[in-house]
Amino acid sequence: MRLRRVFWLLPIVLLPLPWFLNQYQQYVLNTALLYVPVGIGFNLVVGNLGLLAFSNVAYFGLGAYASGVLMAQLGVPWWITLLPAALIGGAAGAIASIPALRGVRLFYLAIMTLAFGELMRWTYIRWEALTGGSMGMAVPMPDLLGWSLDTDLRRFYVFLALVVMLVTITDRLLRSRFGRAFMAIKDNEVAAAAMGIPTDLYIVLAFAWGGAVVGIGGAMFAISVGHLTPVSFDLTELLRQFAIIMVGGLGSLAGTIIGAVIVTVAPQVFISFPGFDELVFGLLIILVILFLPRGLASLLARAHPAFVERYYRG
Amino acid sequence: MADSPLLSVRNIEVRFGGLIAVAGVSFDLNAGEICALIGPNGAGKTTLFNAVSGNVVPNGGSIRFRGEEIAGLTPHEISALGGRRTFQNGGLFPELTALENVLVGLHVQVGSDFLGLLFGRSSARAEVAATKRARELLSLMDIEHLAEQKAGALSGGQQRMVEIVRALATNPHLLLLDEPAVGLSPAARQQLAVVVRDLARTRNVGILLIEHAIELVMSVADRVIVLNDGRKVADAPPEQVRADRSVLEAYLGHA
Repeated sequence: MRLRRVFWLLPIVLLPLPWFLNQYQQYVLNTALLYVPVGIGFNLVVGNLGLLAFSNVAYFGLGAYASGVLMAQLGVPWWITLLPAALIGGAAGAIASIPALRGVRLFYLAIMTLAFGELMRWTYIRWEALTGGSMGMAVPMPDLLGWSLDTDLRRFYVFLALVVMLVTITDRLLRSRFGRAFMAIKDNEVAAAAMGIPTDLYIVLAFAWGGAVVGIGGAMFAISVGHLTPVSFDLTELLRQFAIIMVGGLGSLAGTIIGAVIVTVAPQVFISFPGFDELVFGLLIILVILFLPRGLASLLARAHPAFVERYYRG
Repeated sequence: MADSPLLSVRNIEVRFGGLIAVAGVSFDLNAGEICALIGPNGAGKTTLFNAVSGNVVPNGGSIRFRGEEIAGLTPHEISALGGRRTFQNGGLFPELTALENVLVGLHVQVGSDFLGLLFGRSSARAEVAATKRARELLSLMDIEHLAEQKAGALSGGQQRMVEIVRALATNPHLLLLDEPAVGLSPAARQQLAVVVRDLARTRNVGILLIEHAIELVMSVADRVIVLNDGRKVADAPPEQVRADRSVLEAYLGHA
C-alpha cells in the first residue's frame, strides 16, 4: 500500500543526475522540471475539475513576463518575483474562470479561453516598453540570496526544490475534500451542489490555484531561457502543454510529471530536423489517445494498485 | 420550532417562459412525516422539488424550512441547512467509488480549510475520520462490500442505495426522494420502503417523495399530495386519496 512513497525517493535519486549530463542536456532537464508546475495547473483544471480551459499559456506567459520585467526594470531578485508571478498567474486564472461561471462549457469554453491566451500574446507584442515587443527582452542573471544562478547545474537544484514543494502541496490538495470536490464537479455538477459544495467558488479556486502554480512555472522558464519573446507563448506552446497532460494522464499528478519529462525529452530525438519536434507532440497525443486513453500514468496504475490515484486515503 | 412545520410551502409558482409549471401550490411537511407527491407526467412534481432544493428559483411564493426562508437560495446553501435530495436518474458521481460518493456527501463536515491543508500539518486525520464514518453509513444499508466499486459500475438498485446513503450522510432534517423506486426489483423496493419508514420514525426525518410506484406510495406515505397541471388537487392520507374522484380525473382525464 505504501508503494506510492517510492515517488518521494525520486528527487533524491535525481540529485547527482546533472553531473552525468552535458550542459545542453542539463538545460533540457531543467525544462522538463519547469513543465511540471505548468502541467500541474493545467491538469488541475482540465483533468480534475473537468473544464476544457485552454488559457494555460496565458498564466505561463504572465508568470514569465512578471518575473522577467520585475527583474529587468526594478532589479527585484528572482526568488522574490516568484510571489508576484504566482499572484498574477492566479489572478489571470480567476479571470479565465468567468466564462465557466456563466455556464460556458466544452468547445465554447475552449475557444474563449484560447482567445485569452492569444490576447495576452498580442499584449506582449504591443507593450514594447515593458516586454521589448516581438524582439523580446533579456532576463537578467538571477541569483538566490547572493548565490548566482548562472549555470543550468545551479538552476537545476533550485528548480528541483521548487517542483518537490509544488508537487507535495498539490498532492495534499488533491487527496483532501477539495480534490474530491473537484472530481465531483467534473462527474456531476448538479449533484455536487446538492451535496453542499459551493461549485462556483470551487471552480474559481481551481482556476486561480492552477494559474498561480503555472505562473511559478513561467518564472522558472524566464530564467531558464534568459530571453523572453511572445512567440514562446503561442498556440504551439499550448499544444505542447496540452500534450503533457494528455500523454501523462488527465487528472493524474504522476501523469503530469511523466508527461512533462516525455514531452520535453522526446522531441530531442529530432533536434537536427527543425519542425519535426512539434510533430512529436501531435504524434504522442494521437498514439496515447488510441492506445492509452488514460495516459501513461494508467500503465503505473495497472502495474500495481498502490499507484491508482484515489484521493481519500490519508 | 416544536409547533411550526419542518417545511412550509406557500403559493409557490414556477414559470418557464409562458409555461406555468407550478401554479400556486401550498403544503406543510412535519418532521418525521412521509409525504408523497404524485400526479401525471408534466404535473410539476419535479419542478416543485427543484424549487424546494434550490435547483429552480420560484417566480413567486415562499418556502420556509426550519423557520427560515429558503426560496431562491442556492442548492449548496439549502443542502448545508439540512435539506438533501436524490435525483430521478444518475445522481451519483459515476467515476468515483461508492465510498467516495458518500465522502462527497460528507463534504461540509470534513473539517479541513484550504490554507491549513496546504501549509499545516495535514488533513489526514479529518480524512480518516470521514472515511470511517462513510464506511459506517454504507454498512447501515448493508452495502459496505460495494465501497471500492465505481458508482457507475453498480446496478440500478445499488446506485439508489448509495445515493440515499450519500444524502443521509450529514443527518439531514429533510430528504427529497425523486422516484427512488425506478429500476428497483420488488425485493429492493421492499427494502427501500423499510429504509424510508425507518428514517422518518426513528430519525425524525421529514421525507418528500415523488413516486410512480403506487403500491410503494400507499405503503409508506402518511399523506399524499396529488398535482395536476401545476395545481394541487388533493392532499390527504393515502386511503382517502385512493377514493378521491378528482385524482382519478387527474390521471384519466375528464369524462
